[in-house]
Amino acid sequence: MRTLMALWALLCLSGSAWAAGPLTPIQAKGKQAYDHICIYCHSPGVWGTNRLARRMDQEHAVLENRTDLTAAGIRAVVRMGIGSMPPLRRTELSDADVDAIAAYLTRARSVQR
Amino acid sequence: MPQSTVLPPGVSEADFKSALRAFAEVVGERWVLASDEDRHSYLDAFAPGDADKHASSAGIAPQSTQEVQAVVKIAARYGIPLWPVSSGRNLAYGGSAPVLRGSVVLDLRRMNRVLEIDEQLGYALVEPGVTFFALFDALQAAGGKLWISTPAPGWGSVIGNALEHGVGYTPYGVHADTICGMEVVLANGDLVRTGMGAVQGSKEWQAFKYGYGPVWDLMFTQSNFGVVTKMGVWLMPEPEAVANYAISVPDYKDLAILVDTLRPLRLNDTINADYTIQNPFRSVMDELSMQGKTRETIYSGSGSLPMELISRELKARNRGMWNVGFNLFDSDKGLDLREAAIRAAFDRVPGSKLQTHRWHRGEPMESWMRVTPALAPLAGVDWYGGPGGHINFAPVIAPVGERVTQLYEAIYKRFIEYGIDYYCGLLNIGQRALVVNAVTFFNRDNAEMTRKGRELYRVLAKDGAALGYGDYRAHISFMDDIAEMYAFNDHALRRLNERIKDALDPKGILAPGKQGIWPAGLRGGARAKGGSQA
Repeated sequence: MRTLMALWALLCLSGSAWAAGPLTPIQAKGKQAYDHICIYCHSPGVWGTNRLARRMDQEHAVLENRTDLTAAGIRAVVRMGIGSMPPLRRTELSDADVDAIAAYLTRARSVQR
Repeated sequence: MPQSTVLPPGVSEADFKSALRAFAEVVGERWVLASDEDRHSYLDAFAPGDADKHASSAGIAPQSTQEVQAVVKIAARYGIPLWPVSSGRNLAYGGSAPVLRGSVVLDLRRMNRVLEIDEQLGYALVEPGVTFFALFDALQAAGGKLWISTPAPGWGSVIGNALEHGVGYTPYGVHADTICGMEVVLANGDLVRTGMGAVQGSKEWQAFKYGYGPVWDLMFTQSNFGVVTKMGVWLMPEPEAVANYAISVPDYKDLAILVDTLRPLRLNDTINADYTIQNPFRSVMDELSMQGKTRETIYSGSGSLPMELISRELKARNRGMWNVGFNLFDSDKGLDLREAAIRAAFDRVPGSKLQTHRWHRGEPMESWMRVTPALAPLAGVDWYGGPGGHINFAPVIAPVGERVTQLYEAIYKRFIEYGIDYYCGLLNIGQRALVVNAVTFFNRDNAEMTRKGRELYRVLAKDGAALGYGDYRAHISFMDDIAEMYAFNDHALRRLNERIKDALDPKGILAPGKQGIWPAGLRGGARAKGGSQA
């Protein structure tokens, strides 16, 4: 339980709304991987999104709209799993793809910088 | 290289280190996955209790058949049990975790090539790491003339699902029936191709199952006799049209008439794909789960969900007590004929209601067709709030209304006794069988709930055997329990399996305990509890 709380703390650093703009190459690669793998549970109205809506709120339910995710938190959740989400093994999602997904989901932070 | 904190049973720390180094020389250090993080990723994500009881000592991820052969030989040299997984996504049956603690997971996910697609002959040749998602994409890219049969969650392996006797919802839905030709690495490292694949240079490997002499393919399903590294899978040509049917009957007592009405329609292939009958609880629970809702939305009491409550919920939704769904695949005219026969049969069932709609070639595919892979059905696992999991007690029964009702009620009685909600689907598999798929949901972090779930499962296995039934698959924690159900002639089937195991894998390297088949040194009282701590 403590591990889960720590992961949530990593995930839930506060952030502000991100400005839409063209994606960097690594963010674009991350979006591609996200659309190929994560989307099945994390598109609107689907299991993972519904679960997040219950656990947190609607605003935090769709990962792609989040501005508060951190790369370290994303890596930890992907590899260790969290709540109902099972871990994704290195053989099914490479470290490079996880990094790219993290770059895509934290694009708000890079915009702020 | 990271060192594991769990060892294979009977293997010293020094020997295990040497073995990992030898594995690394074959697959590369990067693909010897022994860190705590990697080992954690091989745990059963839906474990009904302590996942550590089935912890692996490492994962090894080869990328070719030759690498698999080399890994198997090293494992034999050191006496290290290997647990082969294809996609490792068989959640509710153990995921990628081994039966025997301390086994090394032979992770075949990197062997992910679609080697051949033949639109003329309707087949594909695939490696174990090819998921339903990946094969669907490859078939679309090849022209979209062939359709896959996808099981409930699409992230599974095409090979793994067929080997585990999984099912889908098209005329090709009995996946073990669609296997045509295998390449198998045996426990001594030898490489075999079955059927026509045994003919040097044959182009008929995926066209004819039987070859010459005994047919071995099914021996490598639900077993631990070899590692399947390639498999031919027959695929359905795109039909002109698909029709969906949702039929309901109004009263609780109508289960028998529903089963008896469906039976001849399925037997003569009027219904040409597997159907699913939802019990009253499942109809309500599925609807709520898909909306992201949990049990507390309708009930906060303890014990099993009351039937009166579910009756009210169904009435409020204008739904019948029993709801069956299936799809038919044909030309439009063919569908008209099939529908006429179905309507005529259900006209004789008082109060039955039928709803239907169709898809035609050229239109975008829709989720109800159950051809496009998805993960949506997983929504139900959080029924008790989550983080959830489930195990399935699933005895096989012929579709005879009176018998199905008797077995269904016997299981229901136990669910009430254990205070667990009775989520059940009667899943049709082929033209002559059903499984009564009684699902126990639990919150994984609730020790009492998982304990009750395990206890219920074991009681059901004993009840089922006493009534003359056997399950069609099992979670890694219950493989021995289900093997016990198959007890004719003092377990003659187990003795046969063990003789084959001894002949093909005398050192017991491959998947000890799978389907209750143990190598000689681990049988009966001698069975190890699993790997020791390093």
